[in-house]
Amino acid sequence: MASQLATVSSFVEGAPPGELADVIADIKALTIDTPNLVTQLGPAFEKYNEEQFATVKLPGSSQPVIVSSHNSLGGGRYYDVESSTSFAFDHSTQKTSSAQSHVLESSNSDLVKSVLKTLGSHVKEHFPNASYGVYPIENDSKIAIVVVANKYSPNNFWNGRWRSLYTFSPSASSLTGSIKVDVHYYEDGNVRLLTTKPVSASISPASATSIVREITVAEKKYQEELNKGFNNLSEGAFKGLRRQLPITRQKIEWDKIAGYRLGQDIGGGTSKR
Amino acid sequence: MADVDQFDSALDLLRRLDPKHTSEHLNSLISLVPSLTEDLLSSVDQPLTIARCRRTGRDYLLCDYNRDGDSYRSPWSGEFETPLGGSGVGGVDDQGNNEGAGEGAVPSERVRKMEVRANEAFDVYRELYYEGGVSSVYFWNLDDGFAGVVLLKKVATPAGKSQGTWDSIHVFEAVDRARTAHYKLTSTVILHLSTGNDALGEMDLSGNMTRQIESDLPVDDDISHIANIGKLVEDMELKMRNLLQEVYFGKAKDVVGDLRSIAPLTEANRDKATHQEMINSMKR
Repeated sequence: MASQLATVSSFVEGAPPGELADVIADIKALTIDTPNLVTQLGPAFEKYNEEQFATVKLPGSSQPVIVSSHNSLGGGRYYDVESSTSFAFDHSTQKTSSAQSHVLESSNSDLVKSVLKTLGSHVKEHFPNASYGVYPIENDSKIAIVVVANKYSPNNFWNGRWRSLYTFSPSASSLTGSIKVDVHYYEDGNVRLLTTKPVSASISPASATSIVREITVAEKKYQEELNKGFNNLSEGAFKGLRRQLPITRQKIEWDKIAGYRLGQDIGGGTSKR
Repeated sequence: MADVDQFDSALDLLRRLDPKHTSEHLNSLISLVPSLTEDLLSSVDQPLTIARCRRTGRDYLLCDYNRDGDSYRSPWSGEFETPLGGSGVGGVDDQGNNEGAGEGAVPSERVRKMEVRANEAFDVYRELYYEGGVSSVYFWNLDDGFAGVVLLKKVATPAGKSQGTWDSIHVFEAVDRARTAHYKLTSTVILHLSTGNDALGEMDLSGNMTRQIESDLPVDDDISHIANIGKLVEDMELKMRNLLQEVYFGKAKDVVGDLRSIAPLTEANRDKATHQEMINSMKR
């Protein structure tokens, strides 16, 4: 039973962007004889939502807010700095409830708010559809900067997610983090792009402007490298696997090849004739 | 029927979870729902394993179609090879029947002759298109014809950290009709690509795609069967290679561009507006 729970939890963890509900439906059908297995998936859902930076709309608001370990208040509650709101989040249903006012209490609250504002214009300039958040973490010693962009197109069998997570340490003036891209294409197949790029930089002066400038530069450079990566794989590894046509640029003359008597030398193929 | 639903759900799940780890997901599913074992193993394509034929020293590929328990039949010798080093003729029953894959199937003498020729022909094909790699072809008898699987595998390790693996699995049925045969071909290509460096980090682009075709082709003798199957597989692989190229390097890249724009969006939108204005002015 414990191992079964670990198995289905790993399925949840592996759900592609925007397909958690489909994965859960499959799990339910597969565990129909042990229905209480699904009821134990709460921790797996929580882990998935927090790691994938689930986004959710607060009641009466059109701007989605982020769910992550960095803005967790514990007990299933999270907060949003921009709207000064805290809310309960149900990890199984992805629904929010009991929103209430939440005032940020942090010695870095000025920095948090100015990073949030500067980051906002960067995000709007490069992400057609993204959510972002800035939160004090680790006993107010650092701030976490989170950006998540989703684009779902299930009717065309593809979904994608971009995640950036940075930690700024005011005492060390350092910015560390990672960018992750996850793209799933599944029309008559299953193709997945998964990338991880660590980011590390020192920031000086320790201002919102220089932090966001560093993020802008790192993300632009990364995206250019990623495009190069596509090109290198296409021109390198892919081409090295299978030719589009034989070196003769002719398709194979199967009638000839198939007709050779056994034992006759056909190792050179049609190219030598 | 709960079982049918469960089978479909298992396939749906495998279509969603990371295709680089299909074999692990498959094992998890089997341990979760043991009654699906047979159906899943015979319908889910996994990366092929290479073995060396003890008699001929040539490499061959292992799959469910040349398996008998934990033994596999070499296409070069026609013999089953056990993991312990023995060999034998395989799982023929008391009546000498051996139809069906996965259970020590041995083709009849006529079909084995075709199988031998097909292996030689696809060995040439492999060299011309893959310039390396391993190929294997397995045939088995059907009541009204025969069936088979054409397997090709190539691993590429170009310079740097890049890696690539290509597995082709073409399963076909050839049903005899008067002077023609009806062919049904189901092809899967499993393609794993990865690369990485300090500036890029880790990049993994993996997956599989499946396509099916049916075709009626003229048949004069057994050799024309092999030529027909060869043409069908060759055309299918060309089509799938183009499709994979489009999805891996076109679609996936486009989606990243849809998520984040390198050019500032205000600039991109302004360019778009200017472009539209130009088109409008030319229309006048």
